[in-house]
Amino acid sequence: MTEPRTEGPAAGGGSVGGTVTVTPAGAAPGTAEGAAPDGPPHGIGASVPPADAEAKACGVYPYTADLWAEGLLWAAVLRSPHPRARIKGIDTAPAEAMPGVQAVVTHRDVPVAGATLGRRVADRPPLASDAVRYHGEPIAAVAADHPDTARLAAAAIAVDYETQEAVTDPEQAFAAGPLHPDGNVLRHIPLRHGDASAVGEVVVEGLYRIGRQDPAPIGAEAGLAVPRLDGGVELYTAATDPHTDRDLLARCLGLEADQVKIYVTGVPGACADREDPGVQLPLALLAMRTGSPVKLAATREESFLAHPHRHPTLLRYRHHAGRDGKLVKVEAELLMDGGAYADDSAEALAAAVSFAAGPYVVPNAVIDGWVVRTNNPPSGHLRGEGALQVCAAHEAQMDRLAAELGLDPVTVRERNVLATGDVLPIGQTVTCPAPVRELLAAVKEAPLPPLPKELPPEDWLLPGGPEGAGEPGAVRRGVGYALGMVHMLGAEGTDEVSTATVKVEGPVATVLCSAVDTGQGFATLARQIVQEVLGVDEVRVAPVDTDQPPAGPGARGRHTWVSGGAVERAAKMVRTQLLQPLASKFGMSPELLEIADGKITSYDGVLSTTVAEELEGKELWATAQCRPHPTEPLDATGQGDAFVGMAFAAVRAVVDVDVELGTVRVVEVALAQDVGKLLNPRQVRARIEAGITQGVGAALSEHLRVARGTVRRPDFADYALPTALDVPHIRIVALLEERDVVAPFGAKSVSAVPVVVTPAAIAAAVRAATGRPVNRLPIRPQTAAVTGPA
Amino acid sequence: MAALAAQPAAVPVAGGTDLMCGVNAGRLRPAALIGLGRLKELRGWEYQDGHALLGACLTHARMGRPDFAVLMPGLAAAARAAGPPQVRNAGTLGGNIVTAAAAGDTLPVLAALEAGLLVSGARKGDREIPVSHLLAGRDRLRAGELLTHVRVPLLHAPQTFLKATGRTGPGRATASVAVVLDPARREVRCAVGAIASIPLRPLDAERWVASLVDWDGKRGLAPDVLTAFGEYVAMACIPDPDPERGQGGELPPAMLHLRRTVAALARRGLGRALS
Repeated sequence: MTEPRTEGPAAGGGSVGGTVTVTPAGAAPGTAEGAAPDGPPHGIGASVPPADAEAKACGVYPYTADLWAEGLLWAAVLRSPHPRARIKGIDTAPAEAMPGVQAVVTHRDVPVAGATLGRRVADRPPLASDAVRYHGEPIAAVAADHPDTARLAAAAIAVDYETQEAVTDPEQAFAAGPLHPDGNVLRHIPLRHGDASAVGEVVVEGLYRIGRQDPAPIGAEAGLAVPRLDGGVELYTAATDPHTDRDLLARCLGLEADQVKIYVTGVPGACADREDPGVQLPLALLAMRTGSPVKLAATREESFLAHPHRHPTLLRYRHHAGRDGKLVKVEAELLMDGGAYADDSAEALAAAVSFAAGPYVVPNAVIDGWVVRTNNPPSGHLRGEGALQVCAAHEAQMDRLAAELGLDPVTVRERNVLATGDVLPIGQTVTCPAPVRELLAAVKEAPLPPLPKELPPEDWLLPGGPEGAGEPGAVRRGVGYALGMVHMLGAEGTDEVSTATVKVEGPVATVLCSAVDTGQGFATLARQIVQEVLGVDEVRVAPVDTDQPPAGPGARGRHTWVSGGAVERAAKMVRTQLLQPLASKFGMSPELLEIADGKITSYDGVLSTTVAEELEGKELWATAQCRPHPTEPLDATGQGDAFVGMAFAAVRAVVDVDVELGTVRVVEVALAQDVGKLLNPRQVRARIEAGITQGVGAALSEHLRVARGTVRRPDFADYALPTALDVPHIRIVALLEERDVVAPFGAKSVSAVPVVVTPAAIAAAVRAATGRPVNRLPIRPQTAAVTGPA
Repeated sequence: MAALAAQPAAVPVAGGTDLMCGVNAGRLRPAALIGLGRLKELRGWEYQDGHALLGACLTHARMGRPDFAVLMPGLAAAARAAGPPQVRNAGTLGGNIVTAAAAGDTLPVLAALEAGLLVSGARKGDREIPVSHLLAGRDRLRAGELLTHVRVPLLHAPQTFLKATGRTGPGRATASVAVVLDPARREVRCAVGAIASIPLRPLDAERWVASLVDWDGKRGLAPDVLTAFGEYVAMACIPDPDPERGQGGELPPAMLHLRRTVAALARRGLGRALS
C-alpha cells in the first residue's frame, strides 16, 4: 500500500529548512510519536532521540582526538609532497638524532615485506618504499614525546626523490606507462543489453564532468595505539569497518587476527570510509616499537590529502528515443578517476554502470565504464558513489530530450519511469517497491516557493548573500526536476552478513553488534528495535570492538538492513525465551501472547502481566545473524543480479541565479523518497536534510582543486562547504511507505539517495533559469552567467 | 614597543586568524610572538582634523557595527562580508593590512579611501605610509616597526563594497570592488580587489565618471553610463592580451568571466553609491 505523506502543520524546531511533522498513518497506536504522552518516545516509528545527543551537543563527548593514556607518545606522518616520484633513498638519521624522538618507522620496519593494504583490492604499500603515487602518500612516521617534536622530526627525514611526470588526466592513463605493477586500468565493464544496433527517431548527446567532492568530516582522522604484552596491539580509532581494518593490519604486521584489536570510539562524521589502515599501521608499528601508547591526530591538511574522495568522472551520453519520448537506447561511456590505488573503485564503477540510465525503462543499452589509475588524490567510497555522477548526466540527458521533443521535462520522465517488475540494463529485475511515478507526481504537485516580489524586500536572500552583490533585476528563477536511485546491499556477490547479540538482565537490555554508528543513527535504531520487540524501556548499545563478530562496513545505510535485521532476530529469540515458560504454564502457544506498552497479554485477555515482572532476576540472551539473499558479480557483458534492495527519490529544485555574476542560490529543494517504512521520523528527516546539504555542496561549491596532481589549498577557506545561508528550504513532500517485504520491518535506508539526486535537480534548475547547458559539477559561475549582448 | 625593539625579529600578533594558520601548518616559524591583545588603545578609534584614526587592533566585528558604519560605510560593509562571525570577532584591521592577502576584504576599501598607515618604531620614530605603498612593496615595515593606526578621511558620502564569492555564505572573494565618493574634491574613487596581488585603481575610469556626476544636484547617472563605467573599470583591470608584448589570442573563458564580474560589481557599486 502506498501512502503519500504530505507536509503537515509546522511543529517546533526552527531549522533552516521548514519543519514537517510526519505522523505515521498506518502504524499501530501506542507506537506513534505523540501517542504516548506519558513516556519518552519508544519503539519503531517513534522519534527516539540518540542516546549521546546531549553529550555531543554540549561538547563533552570524547572522540578519538580527546583520548589520553599514561606515558603517551605523539606520532606524525611524513607524506609525499610530489604526486609522482621515485624514492631513491630515505635517511631517517636527522629525525632520530632529534631530542625527544623515540622511534622512526619506514617501509623497512613493516614486518611482512611486500604486504599491501586496500579494502577491496589490496595494492597499496602501507608505507611507500620505492615510489610515491599521490600527493600525501605516507612514507614514514615518527613517535616523539611532543606533537610538535614529532612533526618537526617527520619534516627532517631526508627523502631523495626523483620526480616524474604525473599522470593526472584519466584519458591519458590508458596510454601512459604503468603507474603501478598492476597496470592503469582498474576495471572495465562493457555492458551490453538488448539490441545494440537499435536506433531512435530522436538522438541527444552530451558530455558531462563531475568534480572531486571531499567527505570533509568535522573531525579529522585520529587514533591511539596501545601495545599489548602478548606482542599484539590495540587501537582506538573511529573506524567504520573495524574488522576489515584489523585483518589488513594483522596481515601487514605478521600477527594473528586476534592479536590486533580495534576499539571503535565516537565517530566525528563519516560519509566515507574513515581511519584507513594507512594511518593505523604506522601507529601500530610505533606502539610496538616503543612499547608505549602512541597517539596521532591528523591536521586538516593531512585529512584532505589522505582520505578517499568522490571519483571525478567524465561521462559521454547518447540517448535514443521515439517521437513519443519513449527511450529506445542509451549509449554511454563513463571514465572515473580512481586515484593511485584501487580501493573501492571497482564497486563505484559497478554502481555507475548499473544505474547509468537511471530509474527509467531502457530496452537497449550499450554502456562502457572504466576506472583508471592516476596520480590524483585517492578516490573511494563516498555516499552515493557512482550513482551521483551518472544521475547528474542521465538527468541532463532527459532535459535535453525534453527540449528536443518540445515536451515538458516532467512529461518525458513520466513516460519512461521504472516500476516494480521492470528490468534494469544489467538484466536484473526490480523486485522491491519502485514507486518512481508516485514520487515524481508528489514533487510536481507540491506548491512552489513564493517569488521575491511576493515578499517584503527585507526578507529577500539573493545570490551573494545578505548585503551582498546580488541585484534583483539580474536574478532569474529556475525550476528543475531529477529522479535517481541507489542500491543498498549486495554489490556483486559480497557476503553482506551481520551478527548481533541481545542480552536482557532484569529491566535492562543490551545490544552487542559491531555495526558502527557513524552518525547514521544505527545505535538509536537498535534501541528502538529491542524496545519494540521486547517491550523494555532501557536499552543500551555496547561499544564496538573487534572481539565481537563482524558486521561489515557502514556504507549505503546497509546496517539499517543487515544489522537491524540481526538485532531484530536476536531480540525475537529472547522474546521466545521470555514467553515460552509463561505460555507452557497457561497451556498456550507463545505466538498467542503479545507484548505491547510493557505488558504481556494473551490473545483472549485472560493473562496479563508486565514485562518487568517476568524479567525479574532473569538473564536471557541470544545471538542471530542476518544475511540477505545472495547476489552475483556482473558478467563479461555487465549482466547479473548484482544488488539487493534499491531506493528511489524525486527532487525538485528551485534556484535563483544572478545571471551577470553567475552566482546561484538554491531557494528550495522539494523531495519525495520511498522509505519502505518510517522507523524514526525525526532521524529520517535529519538524514535527508544532511544528504540534500551534501548534494548542494556537490552541485555548487565542493571541489578539491588539484594542479598537476598537487592539491591546492587543502583547507576550509578554499574548499567551500555549504554554510547555513547556502542550505535551501528543505521541503519533504512525501515519504512513501511501501514495505519492502524482504527487508527487516520493510524499511529502506534513506541517507544516500538524497545526495545522489539533489545535484542533478539543481543543475536542471540552473539550466532552466539561464538557458545554458550546465554540463559540469560543481557549477562554475561562468557556466551560470548569461553573456549579455555587450 | 620596547619588547619589539628588544627583539626586532618578533612578530606582533593580534587576532591570529591568518598568522596562526601559517604557524600551525608549519609554513611560518616566527622567532617570537608579541601579543597585542592587551593594548586597549589600539582597539578603538578617534577623530583628528577631518580624519578618523582607526586602531590597528579594531576587529572586523567592531567595524561592522552601525555606529562605525555611519562614518565609514565602505569599511563596515567590507568588514561584515569578511568571513564567518568567529573570524570577524578575532581578525583585525591591522592584521588584514600586514597579511596583505590578495583577497583581503578591507584592502580595496582602504585603497579607495587612500588611507595612510601610521607606523611607530623605537629607532626611527613615527611615520606615515600610504596604504598603496605598503601593499605594493614600495615601502615596507622595517624591523621593529609596528602598524598602530590607520588614518582614513571622513568623507560624509556613500561608499560601497561588493564582492563575488563561490557561495551565498561567507567566502573568499573572487573579485571585489570598493567605490568611494568624495564630494568635497568632486572625486569618485574605485578599487578592485582579489583579482591581483594588490588592489587595482582604475584612475582614468574614476576621472571620467567623476566628470559626469552632477555633484550639486541629484547625483544619479543614467544606466548606460554606469554600464560604461563598469566596462571601463573591468578593461583597465583585466586588459586584452597585448600582441606587441608577445601575448596573443583571446583571454581564457575564466578570465573573461572575471572581467564581466568586475564590470557588474563596479556598475552596481557605483549605482548604489549614487542612488
